[in-house]
Amino acid sequence: MAGAERAGEIELGPYRERAQRDEALRLGMFVFLGSETLLFAGLFALYAGYRAEYPLMFARGVELNEEWIGSVNTLVLLVSSMSAALAELSLRRGRAGAARALLLFTVLLGCLFLGLKGLEYAQHWQQGIRPGARYAYAALAGPGSSLFFTLYYLMTGLHALHVAAGLIALTWLGLSARISAGKTVELAVLYWHLVDIVWIFLWPLLYLIR
Amino acid sequence: MAAPLSDTLTEEGEGRRILLAGGALLALAAGSWGLAHVRLGSLAAPVALAIATLKALVVALVFMRLAHGMRAARFALGIALGFIALLSVGVAADVLTR
Repeated sequence: MAGAERAGEIELGPYRERAQRDEALRLGMFVFLGSETLLFAGLFALYAGYRAEYPLMFARGVELNEEWIGSVNTLVLLVSSMSAALAELSLRRGRAGAARALLLFTVLLGCLFLGLKGLEYAQHWQQGIRPGARYAYAALAGPGSSLFFTLYYLMTGLHALHVAAGLIALTWLGLSARISAGKTVELAVLYWHLVDIVWIFLWPLLYLIR
Repeated sequence: MAAPLSDTLTEEGEGRRILLAGGALLALAAGSWGLAHVRLGSLAAPVALAIATLKALVVALVFMRLAHGMRAARFALGIALGFIALLSVGVAADVLTR
């Protein structure tokens, strides 16, 4: 039975060879990443449309975001993407211990990212900078201001959910005894890189372009 | 069994490429931050987004190994980027005809 065939520890499923199975998994992951990219693209399109409608309010909204938090978080995610790439390379070289350490370092950086994001959310919430009808920041009131922060929460919130999902996957893999088996680490690392790419665009739009 | 010498050299080269790409990403991020504090006027957004695109390309080509990856994967992502281009044209058309 095909499903019972194995190459070493890896179950081959309907595939004849491990290389064929690995290529199919990689392609499936890229199709998934393509659909994720489209999900975020919709939000970026909304942002562009509303920024064109309310340029001043969006510029002032950007000034209210904590630039240092956005910038430190950018460095954190860029370094985490590099360490994830090195983890995957280490695994291909057969160095499971180094891969495990690098994956857990990536997880640490991801947690730091979420911690800083939470800090910014808490500060905004206290000031009355909240999404939708709960927006109550008197110093920046008017059409466009609550729209900017609704989009801010939507975009960064969805991104943070993706970071959290990536962290769960990387933690599970980093602690797994079967870290060197299969293609799972490469797929999880690919997902992490997409999370990084999305933030690369969120940073200038929400923290830098005034 | 030890890996062939050519494989080992390729993998060492890949490690160096990843570190170099990481350095380039940090330098580009510093560039984004620095230019955000220079008065660029209407060029601010295009410049910031151009640097962001460059960073995304470095991540995709080096970290995600798209430069050497399978053609089908590049095709799948290409389709997604094509749809994003269509979406961008739609948004631009909306903004320009208001």
